[in-house]
Amino acid sequence: MLETFNFRVILEYMPLYFKCFSATLWLSGAGLIGALLVGTVACAMRLSQSRIVSLIAGVYIESIRSTPLLAQIYFFYFGLPSLGIMFSEEVTGIFALTLNSGAYMAEIIRAGIQSIPHGQIEAGIASGLSYFQRMRYIILPQALGVTILPLLGQGIVLVKDSSLLSLISIMELTRAGQILTSERFMPAEGFLTTAAFYLIIYYILKGFSSWVQKRLIFREAY
Amino acid sequence: MWGFYFEQLIDSLPIFLKGLWITASVSGLSLIAGSIIGFFWGIIRGGKGRILRRLIGAWVDLIRGTPFLVQIFVIFFIFPEAGINLEAFPAAVIALTNLAACFICEIVAGGIQAVPSGQKEAATASGLSAYQRLRYVILPQSMRTILPPLVGQYVLTIKDSSIVSVIGVIDVTRAGWLTVQRIPEGVLVFGLVGILYFVICYPLIQLSSNLEKRMTVVATRL
Amino acid sequence: MITFSNVNKWFGDLHVLRDINLSVGAGEVMVVCGPSGSGKSTLIRCINRLEQIEEGDLIVDGMNVHDRKVNMTQLRAEIGFIFQQFNLYPHMTALENVILAPTKVRKMKKDEADKLGRETLKRVGLGDKVDSYPAQLSGGQQQRVAIARGLCMRPKIMLFDEPTSALDPEMINEVLEVMVNLAKEGMTMIVVTHEMGFAREVAERILFMDEGQIVEIAPPEEFFTKPKSERTKLFLSKILTH
Repeated sequence: MLETFNFRVILEYMPLYFKCFSATLWLSGAGLIGALLVGTVACAMRLSQSRIVSLIAGVYIESIRSTPLLAQIYFFYFGLPSLGIMFSEEVTGIFALTLNSGAYMAEIIRAGIQSIPHGQIEAGIASGLSYFQRMRYIILPQALGVTILPLLGQGIVLVKDSSLLSLISIMELTRAGQILTSERFMPAEGFLTTAAFYLIIYYILKGFSSWVQKRLIFREAY
Repeated sequence: MWGFYFEQLIDSLPIFLKGLWITASVSGLSLIAGSIIGFFWGIIRGGKGRILRRLIGAWVDLIRGTPFLVQIFVIFFIFPEAGINLEAFPAAVIALTNLAACFICEIVAGGIQAVPSGQKEAATASGLSAYQRLRYVILPQSMRTILPPLVGQYVLTIKDSSIVSVIGVIDVTRAGWLTVQRIPEGVLVFGLVGILYFVICYPLIQLSSNLEKRMTVVATRL
Repeated sequence: MITFSNVNKWFGDLHVLRDINLSVGAGEVMVVCGPSGSGKSTLIRCINRLEQIEEGDLIVDGMNVHDRKVNMTQLRAEIGFIFQQFNLYPHMTALENVILAPTKVRKMKKDEADKLGRETLKRVGLGDKVDSYPAQLSGGQQQRVAIARGLCMRPKIMLFDEPTSALDPEMINEVLEVMVNLAKEGMTMIVVTHEMGFAREVAERILFMDEGQIVEIAPPEEFFTKPKSERTKLFLSKILTH
């Protein structure tokens, strides 16, 4: 298989791959930012004192976590037009990615907040800090230390998940592989090149993760 | 309008039930095979053999670093080029088994490494063989760390099985995709798809978080 | 300074504080002891409302703690609280731990708080550890930082909840020394502890609790030589033999 591997064709398609590589980066980047916002809000709602607010967030989080992303993408892709809402494929795609990752982010942030020992909160209360001050100076900085690694992990998942957007004909890395395969009948060249580009992103994020991990010394206090 | 489509949807329920059976068999087979292979790899990876550990680690990285969609395409389109012709169903099971095995391998290796080295030393000192140490001392203790994420991984695998629909395996997601061509009510059709996945995945997610709670209670009591 | 009148508290079915009547004057040092589960920690945790009381009145510095309208933030700023597990903030240096509340609650200027923090850390013998993180300090040093954190608010009252119970034996004295100095400077203190040497040296009165009740309150001399209650005798015989 390898001896017939056609590097010339890959070279020929490189401009397409680079374009699609940056599309994957921007789609997952947009999804990541959206997911962080949605996740923070959903987490705050989930931890709210109000039963109803907490229930709404709970239904959102659980229904997203219990169904596949592909079904969610199809739900919005086929469903929004039938409700009379017309978005471009890109907007639909980012919307689905954001809602999907947001639910996982919410759970990660919640786990981070709840992992702070109760004594920390009591120490804050005892020295007269207000709820907001305790959140700002004691809980969130520590929760960030606990959540940064799972958040990065979710970032990796998001990049890989964005490949599903090729199925609603958005141009990105996996779509580039499909195009090469169908135009030149060269699936090996097409999909292995796609895989190589994903691996570049993966190794960079993984390296960053272990760098962060080494810097989180203060966590050893517990 | 919805009432009309709703009746049509009820008429196509048999496809969905058949799809549910296919989803269950693809993920069931992959989970069984993936667990066996994953535990096997994980035990090696949590052990001492340098070369094997690196080899498995590199393979796990390749699989974790690329989208499952790309892996499916590689197996389904590239294997035939090398003279291995696979039907869609076995191709799906092979791809999903490999994916599950890689993630389970990491979970098991993590669980084994979490057992305090004093336990391993005590077992060695009392003359237990390598197999006996694993069987009676290390695995029983690491199950506490392994079990909750393992059940979580099962949920992820069931959801990932939706992606095999793209190579023509008629699972629940494919059933939805086929139906939506006839009944252009995406919300209705993929709502049903979502419900079918939810019924399987939600109880498992609850089981996973219950296990996690129970296991940490045991851990703090010790 | 602190007055309990007919205070009752339950945890579910468990009656943890039964008809507590007690008054502690300004500048007084009181030691509270008793078997585990006797309610002694709960007693002092009620004073800054880390625990709510269900019945009775609890007046601290002229304010009724039980009253929901009372501004607890203001009151808590007047009360230093030292935990058994230190509860230092692990992501902040010793100095940052100490000056967080002064700058955020008292709205003190940064450089002013900085100066106060360094002085207070010096006072507990940790002048050279200002930039260390809690994980880099020993248990005794962490607890002294915690005491400095309380003192930086210039509190009127200091409460200690088993401050030396989580420490290795060789570190207990360095913490007790700081507490003895504090007592001699005239701080109002309530200390839950089993360190009877400390009680004998600085306490004006010792309070013995069992099953949520105050069994006996007496000056150290009397408490150790002629305890009135059988339960106190039994407790003392267990604790003084080590």
